[in-house]
Amino acid sequence: MSGSILAAAVALALLCAAPEIVQAQAAYKAPRTADGTPDLQGIWQVRNTSAAFDLEDHAGALGIPPGRSVIVDPADGKIPYRPEALAKRQENFKNRQAADTLNKCYMPGVPRITYLDFPFQIFQTPKYTLITYEYIHIYRAIFTNGSPHIDGLDFWLGDPRGHWDGDTLVVDVTDFNDQTWFDAAGDFHSDKLHVVERYTRTGPDTLRYEATIEDPAVFTRGWRISLPLYRHTEPNFRILEYECQAYADEAAKSSR
Amino acid sequence: MQFKFAVLSAGAGLLLAALPVLAHHSFAAEFDVSKPITLKGKFVRMDWVNPHSHILLEVTDADGKVTTWSFEALPPNVLFRQGWRKDSLKAGEEIEVEGFQAKDGSANAWSRSVKTADGRRLFAGKPDALPPGAPPAPEK
Amino acid sequence: MSSRLLKSMFAAAGLAAMLWFTLAPLSAQPPPAPAQGAGPGNGGVPAIFGSGVRHVPGGPVQHLSDGHPDMQGFWNAGNNGGAVFEVQNHPTGRAPFFGPGKGAIVDPADGFIPYQLWAAAKAKDTFENHLAEEPELHCYESGVPKQLYVQFGFQIFQPANYVVLTWEFMHAVRIIPTDGRPHIPADIKLFQGDSVGHWEGDTLVVDTTNLNDRTWYDTVGNFHSDVEHVVERFTEVDTNTINYEATVEDSKVLTKPFKIAFELDKNTDPKYEQMEFACVEGNEDVTHYTKDKGGKADVKLK
Repeated sequence: MSGSILAAAVALALLCAAPEIVQAQAAYKAPRTADGTPDLQGIWQVRNTSAAFDLEDHAGALGIPPGRSVIVDPADGKIPYRPEALAKRQENFKNRQAADTLNKCYMPGVPRITYLDFPFQIFQTPKYTLITYEYIHIYRAIFTNGSPHIDGLDFWLGDPRGHWDGDTLVVDVTDFNDQTWFDAAGDFHSDKLHVVERYTRTGPDTLRYEATIEDPAVFTRGWRISLPLYRHTEPNFRILEYECQAYADEAAKSSR
Repeated sequence: MQFKFAVLSAGAGLLLAALPVLAHHSFAAEFDVSKPITLKGKFVRMDWVNPHSHILLEVTDADGKVTTWSFEALPPNVLFRQGWRKDSLKAGEEIEVEGFQAKDGSANAWSRSVKTADGRRLFAGKPDALPPGAPPAPEK
Repeated sequence: MSSRLLKSMFAAAGLAAMLWFTLAPLSAQPPPAPAQGAGPGNGGVPAIFGSGVRHVPGGPVQHLSDGHPDMQGFWNAGNNGGAVFEVQNHPTGRAPFFGPGKGAIVDPADGFIPYQLWAAAKAKDTFENHLAEEPELHCYESGVPKQLYVQFGFQIFQPANYVVLTWEFMHAVRIIPTDGRPHIPADIKLFQGDSVGHWEGDTLVVDTTNLNDRTWYDTVGNFHSDVEHVVERFTEVDTNTINYEATVEDSKVLTKPFKIAFELDKNTDPKYEQMEFACVEGNEDVTHYTKDKGGKADVKLK
């Protein structure tokens, strides 16, 4: 075969064998806001309703949809626990009804709040990306002006500081407490948790959400999840309220 | 708008100064504001939680009985902005906490101020700065 | 002068100073620098009702590229006559909770809520016997218009087609679309209601319906029904000052509407940030409320 035909054959083979490479090069270019940053604004929600129950591969159970792991690194889709931490995770799973703080209407932590099955709205101004969640009216005001993390307090949702990396909003989150889980299956962390979120538009009505999780007290290495988020396109859609504590109070009253 | 304020109860200016802070619920419905209490004891730890931080104090009475008291303080965000840090008080440190006991008689109280053995005065229940012309701040 | 009168004057000065300090800021002296690693500060001065920074008039109103006034930043309810304690005129105060104040009602002129008779009786009963039902005691959001005068101030964001308000207190939020959409259907009742906004010149007008009946106007049980309808007007007069007023209608509870008004003052501390305020997990207060106030504990003292 001549060189050019060989080259063409190789190129064709590559194209067929690795369509992901072609896709990556044709990345969606999001429209811009008035101040030139990629526009992530809108009301978004996951369609994957099983990740909030269990991030890893899991069969169904009563009230719990089955699901494939949303962990893309490591490749086996398993959370890389330290051995003693894995034992704790199994114990958490056994006690999950009582031990999952979400069941007491406490704040869900990050990244769990993103894949709870409730919509959230992203707003952008020059200094901030503001995310408001329907779930217990949580808001996260993410500075995008290079300000430093708070030093000396810890928070349920951590302290988020963001910057733009090309078309991706990168949010660095530290200052977590150790009270939240990543899902309802007992996957947990310590107060050394460090999360880096990445929000990237992938189309007119889609957004890719990734979160890299590090916690040397619990995991042997960092790990990463990835989930698509979908825009609510219903006319005049708005986030409503899910007031967990108020509903719990009502239920307690009526059961007396 | 002109404000006219009069004394509420037997309390002094410090008492009144504490009240506006607690506008999210009726403080006096929960705590007995007629009788401030002062307890000396060992600082156990502080829980930095919303809506109120808690200062835990191990108090030994005359008979040697030990009770752990929980004193409510301002929210952690406010304390932090006032300069409190997680190491402001050390476990085992002898401190004196002044406040109002819960009406249910439990070992719970609202803390107005915390005084350390070396004489530092940390205000848990109210701001530690007053504007010029105001009644003098408590001694430091 | 009697010692009681002296005590009154001392106390009055103390409280007035406290409120002046928090509601209408301090001396022109720059606040002390925050400690190393202190994180978001307010110059070392505690932010309770406000930053404690003196309110000085600002410069001329700036406008965003969409032509509307830029009201973004951190704000505190200014002089509001102790509305957060009691929104209406309270000329004798309510001992031992708080002293007298005018409240925030400017119409009717006497400053009292124009309750229907049954509602006035209910408010009285709530104050005397059911303080344990106070919404914020349970970590609920404060509703409209009370949210505007709760402590720790709020932040205004103006992204495209919206005005969004966030409060550190109870991490409350109000999302106000300004794209001309209609209200949501009346069957959906929300703590913060459903707000739609539009601009009249430089005034943001916010119309709020769909409120549930689970919030109060203040800490003493002044209340509204689920047909409450509030129209608010935010008019920035300079970069540090917004004039705020709210007209409240409630045909189930009131004989006629009432109007509240006060100034919103800008927190000019360049380092100030709002932080997370989670509430539910640290809330032990509910458990200490005694039975005579609608709680579950027994009164053991006094």
